[in-house]
Order: sequence, then structure tokens, then C-alpha cells
Amino acid sequence: MPEFPSYEDAASKFRDELEATGGIFFDARSSDELPEILSQILERTGTTEFYWESEEVFQKSAIPYRLRDPEAFSRQHLVFSYHFKGKVEFPLVLNFKPYDRATLAAVPVSVSRAPYGIAETGTIVHSVTPGTGRLLSVLPEAHVVLLSEKDLLMNSVEFLDRTQLGELGSALTLVTGPSRTADIEKTLVLGVHGPRQWYVVLTS
Amino acid sequence: MIRIRSGAASALDNPQLQKNMSAVIRTALHSRDNSVAEVANWETLRQYAHDVKEHTLARLDSYLEQLEERVVEQGGKVVWVENGEEALSFITRLAHEKNMTKVVKSKTMLGEEIHLNKGLEAAHIEPVETDLGEYIIQLAKETPFHIIAPALHKSRQEVSDLFTEKVNMPPTDDVQQITATARRILRAHFLTARLGITGVNFGVAETGTLVVVENEGNARLSASVPEVHIALMGIEKVIPRAADLSVFLKLLTRSATGQKITSYVNFINGPRRPEELDGPAEFYLVLIDNGRSKILADSFLRQTLACIRCGACLNVCPVYQRIGGHAYGSTYPGPIGAILTPQLLSEEEAPEHPYASSLCGACYETCPVKIEIPHILLKLRERVQRKKNDKASHIPLEKWSMQIWGWGMSSSRRFAWFARLMRAAQGWFLKEKGSRIELPVLNGWTRHRDLPTIPKKSFREVFKPEEKGN
Repeated sequence: MPEFPSYEDAASKFRDELEATGGIFFDARSSDELPEILSQILERTGTTEFYWESEEVFQKSAIPYRLRDPEAFSRQHLVFSYHFKGKVEFPLVLNFKPYDRATLAAVPVSVSRAPYGIAETGTIVHSVTPGTGRLLSVLPEAHVVLLSEKDLLMNSVEFLDRTQLGELGSALTLVTGPSRTADIEKTLVLGVHGPRQWYVVLTS
Repeated sequence: MIRIRSGAASALDNPQLQKNMSAVIRTALHSRDNSVAEVANWETLRQYAHDVKEHTLARLDSYLEQLEERVVEQGGKVVWVENGEEALSFITRLAHEKNMTKVVKSKTMLGEEIHLNKGLEAAHIEPVETDLGEYIIQLAKETPFHIIAPALHKSRQEVSDLFTEKVNMPPTDDVQQITATARRILRAHFLTARLGITGVNFGVAETGTLVVVENEGNARLSASVPEVHIALMGIEKVIPRAADLSVFLKLLTRSATGQKITSYVNFINGPRRPEELDGPAEFYLVLIDNGRSKILADSFLRQTLACIRCGACLNVCPVYQRIGGHAYGSTYPGPIGAILTPQLLSEEEAPEHPYASSLCGACYETCPVKIEIPHILLKLRERVQRKKNDKASHIPLEKWSMQIWGWGMSSSRRFAWFARLMRAAQGWFLKEKGSRIELPVLNGWTRHRDLPTIPKKSFREVFKPEEKGN
């Protein structure tokens, strides 16, 4: 197997590569900044709601939350938080809607948590797991990914070494930056079918 | 029979096409070269990928069976078909059974090869191309001009005019706006289509994973939104291990667009699973032969099937750069098309393809899996010639002239005699001003190039008297 590169500072390599593809990077490794960063993202997208891919996002990223109506909640729901005047405060208060195509198609910004990031190319691994779907991260105009620094790998060889591809779920995607095309005169345009805005927040 | 000559001539006479092509191809070459130069062990990667492909192609049957087994384990269905007709009849039958009237398609060259859209339309199923370039081509009722950039030959103005005419877009030269229009229209198709069709870049035998590489997100949507997903895969696309994907992806994306990786690399492992919230309920992998196993039979020509469809050999080819993709008259243009087309069809059906090359070797130098395209071209020329020679009506003009040439050149006396004869004869062909020769038979050569006149005295004749004078 030919050699693949490693980096002393994987986080800054990841950031450089992500930004080169038109993605937007936030560093939330020094704790308390996450609500402030999320508020900034809401401002950039011009919206007041985040749609969260699963409870795992909160648990693994240590985001405090409570359900507005815990009795009625099931894993089959689309979970969202509403932020008055675009200001994000913890704990998040979660509401839910049915997980159907029409609702999904109207989601402005979604948030997921990545099992891995790949420094060499600024890539995020997105995987469908029980209780999540394929569409929430690809239909909206903007998507936010939370990635923990300890899940940042050097290159795709490391990723494939650690993962049994079929075991994660029926669909797994390596996502690098926003959706793009250069089909007309090789001119770059972002946001063809997938998200135009692509945010990655690195947490500790 | 597919001819290249007439298409090539009309491409050469089309100044707008020449202008559109040259700028875009220059950009593509530049991106690829810069990107490849960043990778210190590029040659090692190429050789590795070449070896993996060679190994796999020699054991294709067992790897395909392994792939089938894994796909089935994950709840997918595998359909083996011999040719395009069988593939089409499977797809249309399935769609009819389920009352599906529309298909969202992401880019698949194999789909082009089997004329999928035509077949779907004939069965009253509406195919919707969702890759921007393919969508443009579909609106224009053309075929792809390039393996990875189907609408490369169209200027933004031409695309704008097309959208204005076909989908009522206000005229614009803003590429963003054209793209936004396509997004809006195609999103509506995605949300209503019940059948999605994609191609496959790599099928991993070990894990049953189908890998689809793209930038726009349309393949991801085609494989995710509809209730049925059909993946079309040429049998040569199987690779043994997931670990090798790192190498192939790096080679593919850098060669194709100069990207370190594309925006999306989709790994599909069958249909939606019980706890998942969406995804297709049914997944079909259609394994298509369509002439490939015939190519496998020759252990040298077999490497043609190692191609990963990056399109780098097109951009670098001096012939493609001039005549463009449509002149090749078949699905695969450029050097790879020149070797693939006559093998997928037959030498009789594509006799000109092996000759659409100057044998400069740039395609081999750039090929990420080191396919020896120039050698394969020679081998195919030999086949074409052999078939010609075998015909009873064949007059071996070329053979005779080569024999006469050989006889003349093998003795200095005969050579001098020939030269004198030519000098005397050239007077008949000289143009009025007398600086170049126009040949009546070989004018395909002299129309575009100067053949200088033969001087009045040969070197020997000039040299001799001076020798005496000393």
C-alpha cells in the first residue's frame, strides 16, 4: 500500500483544506463558545431554526437540551430548536415535526455529528445510523457538522482501516465542502443540489 | 459503421466550437497538472492501481460473485445482464410493475452506452438527467461531449439561450443564476420521482459497497429520495478491497478535475435498513457485460477495462483537442474511446477509431492506471488491417508501395535514380508559384501541410565538383 501523508497539526490542515473548498470552519475546542458560534451560523444563514439529526449530536457533543414534550417524542421525529432573534442558548429546547418529505424539503439548516473527519482533504464522514436518515444533511441550503478533535484522522487510509463500510449503515458519504459544479465553462458554482453553505465546528 | 472523418472535418470548420473548447481544455489541463504535482508518490500510486486492476481483471468472475454475495446479504438484489437490451427490459419491466413514470438519473456513461434514455422514453418513462452538464445536454438533445464534463463545448451564452427556450429562464450570462434555475426545476423532480438510477465508479467485492463519486449531490439524491434505487455497473468496475479505495479516489479525482477529493463520495450498502428513517426500500445492482467479457479474452488488450473514466486522456490528446467529443460518434471519445469503441463493438463497426491518434503517447503518460493506449491502438490497427487484407476484393496497394519503397531504398544507385525521377516528375504537380508540391492522390496530406519541392541538384551532385576543385 503506497504511503499517505500525516500531519503534526491535523486540525489546522483540516481547516486549510476545508476552507479551500469553500467550507466554513469554526474552532470551539476552548469550551464555552459553542452557543455563540451557533448564533453566528444562524445569522449567516438568515434563519432562526436548527434541525438536529439525532440525539447523539447532543450527547456526544455535550450539548445540554430538554424536550418540550417528552411524552409525545419518538425517534421517528424530526427534531428542531427555535431561537428567538437568532440567539442560541443552552440548554436547547427541542420541538419536533413529522419526518416526511414535505417537511424535510422545507428545512433551512440542519446539524449532524460526524463519526470522523479526514485532515488530508478537509473531509467529513457522514453516516446513516439507526434513528437517522439520508436526506436531512443533503436537502437543506446549509448544513452544520460537529466534529470532535479526537475523531480527526490523518487520511482516508486511516478511515478505511477503522471502518467496516457496511456496518455503519446503508449509506455513508465522504463530504468535502459545499455542493459544487463547474459544468458551464469550468466556472465554479456552489450549491447545485446539496448544501450551498457548509459549516464544520471542531469541538474538543 | 461509425465514421470519424466527417465529424472531425465539421468540428475543425466550426470556429465557435474551437473557441469554446480551447479555453476550457486549457483550464482542465492546468488543474490536473497542478494537482498531480502536489503528490510526491504519484508514480507509485499509478503503478499500484495498475497492478490492482490487472490482478482483478484476471479473476473478474470470482470477485463479481463475491460482490453479488455481499450485496445480497445487505438486502440488495443483483441482476446480471449481457447487453443493453436486457438491462433496459429489466428496468422498464420493474418501472411498469410499480407504475413508475419518471426516473431521476445521475450521470452514468454506461447509461449512455446502452442508450438508456431512448429506451425509457420508448417505454413511456420520463428520464430526468440531474447532473447539470447532463441536464444541459438533455435539453439540447445532444450526447455528452466529454466523459466528465458533458457540456464542455457550450458557452454560458449558449446555455442561457437553451434555458430561455426550453424552461423559460430570463436570459442571463450569470452562471449562478443558470445553476439556480436548474436546482429549482430538478429539486421538484427529485421530490416526485419514485425511481432513481445512478452509475457506479467502484464496486467493492469485500464489503458489497457501491461507490459513486460526484460534486453536485445529485447522485446522493438519486440514490436516497426515490423508493427504488437502481445502480448500473459495468462488470469491470469491481475492486477487491475497500482499503484500495484511498488510492483509486486520489488518482481519479485529481486526474479528472484536479480536486483532492470531490464534494461527495457516496458509499452505498444496499437499501434502507429497518431503523433508518429514509432511503430506498429496494436496491438493485445491475451488472452489465455489453461486450466486456469479449475484451477480457485477450490478456494484452484486457487492460482497456482498467479505465476509471477520469477523462484525463481526452484533455491531453492533440486529436481530441481539435475534433472534440462528438466527432468520435460513440459514447466514449478521446484516446480511451479510440481503443474502447472498436473493442466493445467490433473493428468493422469502428474501423477509423484506432487511427484517430498521432501516437504521441501523452494519453499513456497521463493515465492514472497506466493503460498502454498507444500500444493498444497499434494492435487494433493491425487487426483492422488484417481484416481488410482477408477480403477477396482487397488490392494490397499499401503493401505493394511499401515493397517498392523498400526495394528502392535498399540500394544507393536505385535511390539516386528514384530521386532523379521524382525531380523530373514534380514539375507536373507544382503549383503556379512553384514553392510547394500538391499531390493528386495524397492530397489529404498536402492540403494542410507543405511538401517542399526537391532542389534542382542533389547533395551528391553539389558536393562532387567542389571535391574536384580542391
